[in-house]
Amino acid sequence: MNVLTRTVLGRLGGMLLTLILASMVIYSAVLLTGDPIAALAGGAKPTPELVEQIRAEYHLDDPVWSRYWQWLTGAIQGDFGRSFVYKTPVVSLVGPRFGITLQLVLLTVLLILVFGVGSGILAATRGRVVDRTIAAMTSLGMALPTFVVAILLIWVFAKSLGWFPVYGEGEGVWDRLWHLVLPAISLAVLFIAYVSRVTRGSLVAQLHSEHVDTARVRGIPRRRIFGVHVFRNASPQILAIAGTTIAGLFAASAIAEVAFGLGGIGSLLVQAAARADLPVVQIVSLLLVTIFVVLNAVADLISAIIDPSSVGGGRTS
Amino acid sequence: MTAPVLEVERLDIVAPGPEGPRRLVTDTTLSVARGEAVGLVGESGSGKTLTLRAVAGLLPDDFTTQGRIRIDGQDLGGMTATALRALRARRIGMVFQTPRAHLNPLRTIGDFMTEALVHVAGERPDVAATRARHLLDEVGITDPDRRMRQYPAELSGGLLQRVMIAATLAMDPDILLADEITTALDVTTQEEVMAVLADLRAHRDLSLLFVTHDLALAGTVCDRVNVMQRGRILETLRAGSMRRDAREEYTKVLMSASLDEAPPLEPATESPRPLVTIEHLRKSYQVRGATGRRETLVAVDDLSIEMASGGSLGIVGESGSGKSTTARMLLGLERPDRGTITVDGQDWSRPARGSADRRVRAKIAQMVFQDPYQSLDRRQTVRQCLAEAVRVHRPRQSAEVVDGRVRELMRQVRLDEGLAARRPRALSGGQRQRVAIARALAADPELLVLDEAVSALDVTTQVEILTLLDTIRRETGVALLMITHDLTVIRRLCDEVVVMRHGRIEERGTAAQILDAPTAEYTRMLLESIPREGWTPRRRLGRTRSQPTTTRSSAMIPE
Amino acid sequence: MSVAQIANGTVPAAARRVARRDPTFLVAVIAFGVISVVALAGPWLAPYDPNELYVGPLNGAPSLEHPFGTDDLGRDILSRVLVGAAASVFAPAVVVVLSTILGVGLALAAAWFGGWVSGGIARLVDVIFAIPGLVIAVLAVTIFGKGLAAPVIALAIAYIPIIARLTRTAAARELAKPYIAALRVQGVSSPAICFRHLVPAMIPIVAAQMAVGFGYAMLDLAAISFLGLGQQPPSPDWGSMIAAGQAGILAGAPEQSVFPAILVVITVLAVGIIGARVTDWAEEKER
Repeated sequence: MNVLTRTVLGRLGGMLLTLILASMVIYSAVLLTGDPIAALAGGAKPTPELVEQIRAEYHLDDPVWSRYWQWLTGAIQGDFGRSFVYKTPVVSLVGPRFGITLQLVLLTVLLILVFGVGSGILAATRGRVVDRTIAAMTSLGMALPTFVVAILLIWVFAKSLGWFPVYGEGEGVWDRLWHLVLPAISLAVLFIAYVSRVTRGSLVAQLHSEHVDTARVRGIPRRRIFGVHVFRNASPQILAIAGTTIAGLFAASAIAEVAFGLGGIGSLLVQAAARADLPVVQIVSLLLVTIFVVLNAVADLISAIIDPSSVGGGRTS
Repeated sequence: MTAPVLEVERLDIVAPGPEGPRRLVTDTTLSVARGEAVGLVGESGSGKTLTLRAVAGLLPDDFTTQGRIRIDGQDLGGMTATALRALRARRIGMVFQTPRAHLNPLRTIGDFMTEALVHVAGERPDVAATRARHLLDEVGITDPDRRMRQYPAELSGGLLQRVMIAATLAMDPDILLADEITTALDVTTQEEVMAVLADLRAHRDLSLLFVTHDLALAGTVCDRVNVMQRGRILETLRAGSMRRDAREEYTKVLMSASLDEAPPLEPATESPRPLVTIEHLRKSYQVRGATGRRETLVAVDDLSIEMASGGSLGIVGESGSGKSTTARMLLGLERPDRGTITVDGQDWSRPARGSADRRVRAKIAQMVFQDPYQSLDRRQTVRQCLAEAVRVHRPRQSAEVVDGRVRELMRQVRLDEGLAARRPRALSGGQRQRVAIARALAADPELLVLDEAVSALDVTTQVEILTLLDTIRRETGVALLMITHDLTVIRRLCDEVVVMRHGRIEERGTAAQILDAPTAEYTRMLLESIPREGWTPRRRLGRTRSQPTTTRSSAMIPE
Repeated sequence: MSVAQIANGTVPAAARRVARRDPTFLVAVIAFGVISVVALAGPWLAPYDPNELYVGPLNGAPSLEHPFGTDDLGRDILSRVLVGAAASVFAPAVVVVLSTILGVGLALAAAWFGGWVSGGIARLVDVIFAIPGLVIAVLAVTIFGKGLAAPVIALAIAYIPIIARLTRTAAARELAKPYIAALRVQGVSSPAICFRHLVPAMIPIVAAQMAVGFGYAMLDLAAISFLGLGQQPPSPDWGSMIAAGQAGILAGAPEQSVFPAILVVITVLAVGIIGARVTDWAEEKER
């Protein structure tokens, strides 16, 4: 346990350092623009009053480090600054939209885990025909990006068949869920294929491993061999990939949100980028990076608990 | 009771391949009677392990077999998958070459020991645990309670192999299939495991099918021995009289290779010039122990060796003795913590700095590694490989001169010139090691360091390479430093021997002294644990109880 | 070497063997070849000016004059798809080449210098990995404005961690092999070991990663164009065409979205199959 505790603390430290460095990268975008006032003004020709407002709000007369520190501590305390396009506090833009993104991602995660891991297990265990079929499907799935699936779904299910609503978020729990089905599918397809392949690959590696030979020759029932010796040993690897995938969904959901007209943080990010609304872009980026890093670290830790031998060694290969 | 436990009748094993199916085992027939131990001996590719895996049901799915396999008179061919699994679970126990790979790294020893009892025989977990502790005790594992809680990574290879054996005994099998079970172990550990096996056979009515490449070892533990070559059984011999009865030339070669009577070499006339002087050498590593704690491992401790030019010194030791680390420090592949290395009057205590220094040293000392396939760049042909080695020392030579030298080197190691365009993959193990030796000779070195240079090779190939090295030594006068775990290798090639253990020197002397009249206890133990005619493995570790655990308990009888 | 093979006539023989053994691979290579030719020669192949308005009816169905139909502004979809191929195919190629140069460079620098350089590079790679590619691209667009340049550079940076980590691991594994030690003992110089032995050993692995990375880059760039942050109108590009055609789908004219979508899928599928085979080949070489 001592070793595990030390690993947890070590990973936590590494995670925080990565986050701080990433936040510096995001913040430094202000400097890269050359003229921060023009960038912060969002493309509009700044009036002298606006220049003054920007200077005051962003403490532009302070040194860079001090400005960065104020930005970061403000963000941690929930002060996300003010959008220059919407002229409102960023927090009021992000808050309500985050819920939609979260719901979309959760539904997508469910689809990925059920169909991705499920089809991976089938491919690894149900013989050559099933394996070939699923391999062909995942090959196709890996070439089906969210926006392609989205327009196909809109065309077939929303327009031609009329089974699902096309745009918007809907009202109430069930209607909301109903509105999120097509976006979640469009977001999930590529990742289902990816997770399915990784699952199959690590299961097959375990199925061919020598310790499974031992279990076979000892006559251990097949169900137990699969559960205890194959799936459990393969799970750290599956989990690592699934974790990274899920962590990336919060960013990738932007495409589904835009395609289906959902007002989540992804579509907010895209709109803000299109209008060069840097304060919004920075805060949403920081939020997405934090989610990504934290979820990755969580997946990492769960893997370490399942497979104590991976502790400290890392799994780069 | 007279029916054989295992019968294999006219077994063929065919593997699919890109160039059509290949027949790997042909027309193999053998039987093992109740209580009998039968050896299946051959070199790599002889089909011995495949035959064993066919019995255990572990062939790859796309392999096809013909012929019959019967266990206790029941033909495996006509059985359902479930019946087959039950039969194998209860009648057969199998032990593998690499115990570490064959145990699930994420399960404790206790889980492994009780798994079959609980999930096949339906025992209660606490009953199974009690029995598991008895079985661990029976194979001589002390403190079974603690071992049951440990993970495979925390146990040594020898212990794991005994755990494997104990676990197979849990189901009271009729026959034990042993696949090269001691090949990955040190010679003293091998003796331990073989002694455990001999004890078990004495106390239980246990049959044994023993697959090995070591004819001498098979001869000491088995009643009968089948010699296999290229997928066929050449002859079957009674172990006790196999030296007299052997008719096949191949069998005789296998015997002469493993049981060596050649008299030890006498030291060459005293050379005036010391070539290598090593003084107070020390090397330690920071390692992560099984529990994850950092520990200091002293690989080599206060080691001093002297070697004359043109001499031939053997450094013998088991794994972890520090013998290879010493060789690597000598050649600048590792940096010593302390101590000095002097070679040919130059200070080599630190690894070479820069290319020029490296070239100077390369001219004096060269090395041949254990696994020739790994030590050759798989993308280079034999000619490219040798030409590169030649050009290091003759950078401005014309292509013809280099080519001539390459041909000369190939002749020197008795390598057919037609092989010059081949890559390592298309060469046999012996041919690869000849290329590695030729490459080492390209620099005309004064010292050739051989790091386990024959231990990865088949027995017959070992003999060829050792003979070649002996010839080269006579022809060129190069000094040989032989790093090996195998005392029989020393006998053939070295006039002086150093025995190492845990990084320190146990004993040193001439080959004759060490091999025929050893003074150190450890050297004697090493020598005694080499299988030979009339050898009985002895157990050196204590054991608390000598009774065998219950045989065929009621839980074992299938409903 | 490859020139010699062509001279010996072994390449056609090899191609015949591939065709017999692996027809899927052959189809993928041909598909990718055709798309590459289209990407190069698109402007000459296009029957109409891709940006000319009202060459046909608005949202016209496929016809003899307009095999892929016409879009919501009456432009010829076939011409737009052909001309748009260039941006859709070459931009990801640039991403892959740039990220490979940067990633392999960083990995080799880390392997070569070791110590704090290696540590610093590892940290840098960790930080880049922590920011999803789309976020880097969006940041770049916010700063440098819309268009393909910013996303291409952003993705090239975003892909560094994948290639750098892979190369670093593979190089470390290769350097640990006994044949490298054997070369040292022979007195072969470090640059010679690096360029004659280490680099050739890396090529199959890096090539496989490039093929796989091309597919991802294509998807990511098309997504960025789809979001309206990449290629700007009126210049055609598959991703932005799909987005622009979304309104047409609801109006019953899906052609503007569907044809470029099919091409994206076919290209990524072909590259995916090629990438998988190259990976198999690299693993084969490993053995």
